[in-house]
Amino acid sequence: MLEMFLQESTLFWTSFSSTLTLLNLTVIMVAVVLGIIIGAIPGLTATMALALLINLTYGVEFDVAISFLLGIYVGAIMGGCYSAIMINIPGTPAAAATALDGFILAKQGKGGLAIGTGVISSFMGMLVGIVMLVFLTPFLYKIALKFGQWEFFLLAVFGVMICGNLSTGTYPIKGWIVGFLGFFTAMIGLDQIYAFPRFTFGYLQLKGGISLIPALIGVFGISEILIVLQEQIPYKILGKIGRIVPSWKAIRSLIPTAIRSGLIGVGIGAVPGAGEDIGAWVAYDIGKRRSKQGAKYGTGCLEGVAAAETANNAVIGGAMIPLLTLAIPGSPPSAMFLAAIWLHGVRPGPMLPIEHPGFLYLIASTIFLASVFMLIYGLLLAKPMATILKIKREVLMPIILPLTVIGAFAGGMRSFDIKVAFAFGIFGYILRQLDYPMAPLVLGIILGPLADISFRQALMQSRGSLIPLLGRPIGLILLAAILLIIYSGIRRTLEYSREQHRPNTLKPE
Amino acid sequence: MEKRGDPLFSILLIKVDNYMEEKNNFVVAADLIMGVLLILFGGSVVRASLKMKVYKTFLDAPGFFPLLLGIIFIILGTIIAVSAIRRNGYTQMKRIFTRISFTELFKSIRFRRVTALVALMVLYIFILIGRVHFALATAIYLFLTLFYLKSTTIIKIIIISIITSLAISGVFTMFFHIPLP
Repeated sequence: MLEMFLQESTLFWTSFSSTLTLLNLTVIMVAVVLGIIIGAIPGLTATMALALLINLTYGVEFDVAISFLLGIYVGAIMGGCYSAIMINIPGTPAAAATALDGFILAKQGKGGLAIGTGVISSFMGMLVGIVMLVFLTPFLYKIALKFGQWEFFLLAVFGVMICGNLSTGTYPIKGWIVGFLGFFTAMIGLDQIYAFPRFTFGYLQLKGGISLIPALIGVFGISEILIVLQEQIPYKILGKIGRIVPSWKAIRSLIPTAIRSGLIGVGIGAVPGAGEDIGAWVAYDIGKRRSKQGAKYGTGCLEGVAAAETANNAVIGGAMIPLLTLAIPGSPPSAMFLAAIWLHGVRPGPMLPIEHPGFLYLIASTIFLASVFMLIYGLLLAKPMATILKIKREVLMPIILPLTVIGAFAGGMRSFDIKVAFAFGIFGYILRQLDYPMAPLVLGIILGPLADISFRQALMQSRGSLIPLLGRPIGLILLAAILLIIYSGIRRTLEYSREQHRPNTLKPE
Repeated sequence: MEKRGDPLFSILLIKVDNYMEEKNNFVVAADLIMGVLLILFGGSVVRASLKMKVYKTFLDAPGFFPLLLGIIFIILGTIIAVSAIRRNGYTQMKRIFTRISFTELFKSIRFRRVTALVALMVLYIFILIGRVHFALATAIYLFLTLFYLKSTTIIKIIIISIITSLAISGVFTMFFHIPLP
């Protein structure tokens, strides 16, 4: 035990010191500032930014690429709180819960305090996330080593289904449909065992399959452009925001909320595909019910801002846990990050600590440094942000399209990938208009190949029998969880149908 | 702050209610169509999967997993279609598929904006890129889109289009060393 601790400590310090180069610190700082600005501008999300930038990091050193993408990720999730507070439009979906109290505080002339609280809470959430990431991941690596083909197959199905359940709220079946459509998308191209072309219809370009990054760019980039520009929503920035940094007493009083919301954020982050927005809503809801100040939530309460902001940033650390141990992203932006590290040849999973020792600590150190820069620049940028937010979305969003085109093209240098991104953009736009969530689609595309190959190999090993599964406790737990999700999902779907049916029948024609 | 007794606020609430109800009705009809499409899609996936080559046994055949997906699509399609029918989906669909509804749809600002934006994207991605230099293609696309959206004054639109397209092309080729499409 002591030997393991010493070994891990050495790895930690080696990784941490390796991140402290001038180049790395500059990259993290620039990325965090860029991320904050991206996150603050409504319509530009962390997921979109990461999707656009993945391919651009291909040519740079791995450490620099990691620092850049994590800096953007951390900055953008926090940046969403500015617009949520100043204009009541969350810059990223993760900041939606922040707007409930933040905007009321801004109307009371306390917008600065709300932003200051949001930034400091985000930092506290990051710290909780980093601590949990560092301590939980090594244990999960050990559990993940026990995973066989059955477990990986069941985990992929579980991931898509739980993500579908959590991201649709009242009508989980829509999340499942999208998740399985993601699985199907992953089936296009050459089969992994026999290289048999599936659903290629004789097109040579489809034999290579649908590349992940163009699909992600389409779903989160092009569809977002259409969603934002389809209607003109003018917004007004409130006048003076006042004092920014809260008093030490106020900060101290937020610590219990930060710990509670941080742990909730980490928990939600560790659930495949759930994401920062769900983390923030759950923490806000629990805070409202459990906190002594719960009754004040929604009326302009700093604790409400803290609950949401701590949780959405804590999700980042939580989302890295399944990503590093099982190669399953915990949130849509972390799915982009997974695609980026795949691009650099790093395969996360149970073998990661053996193949790349210290990788966990490299990630944790980079996130920590990004969090420190986020705290500093988050507070410094509060006042200038009012000017940045004045940039019209009608000017900004069209500029995103050329970036999506380059982002899609850069990976494989194929113009076919640009068309794939466009097709997924239109597909994503239509689905989003019909209340289908996008996170399960992404998770489905990522997990599809794993589900396919592990299922077929598991069946081959057991000669078509399901009995060996009964001797695998982790597999049985996953199977039970899937059955529970199906049961609760179908029940919720039926309840939803009944509720929707009732008013229509009572209403006179 | 808005007051509940304010007639303007009441009108706004009615408008929001009407919009939400319209949207719900539209989504119910769309769910029914999606259910039917999913059943058909699932059926064709099953058919295509069964036609795929079997090498040793069907258990590791390329078509086995897609076959299961096809069956799942049929089941999910049935559930969503039945759920939509229970929510008066068929009635809503008949109501939406009328000439008046379509005329209203084509007249709506949102529909026109999305159609125009998609058309401009098609022009950029399928016609301009690859035929003219990327910077020129981008400048044309940006000019047309910003002009259509009435984003700012015409002079500013021209300046933004030119500077942005040159900046994007320059940054990606010189700093990131990425060849442009």
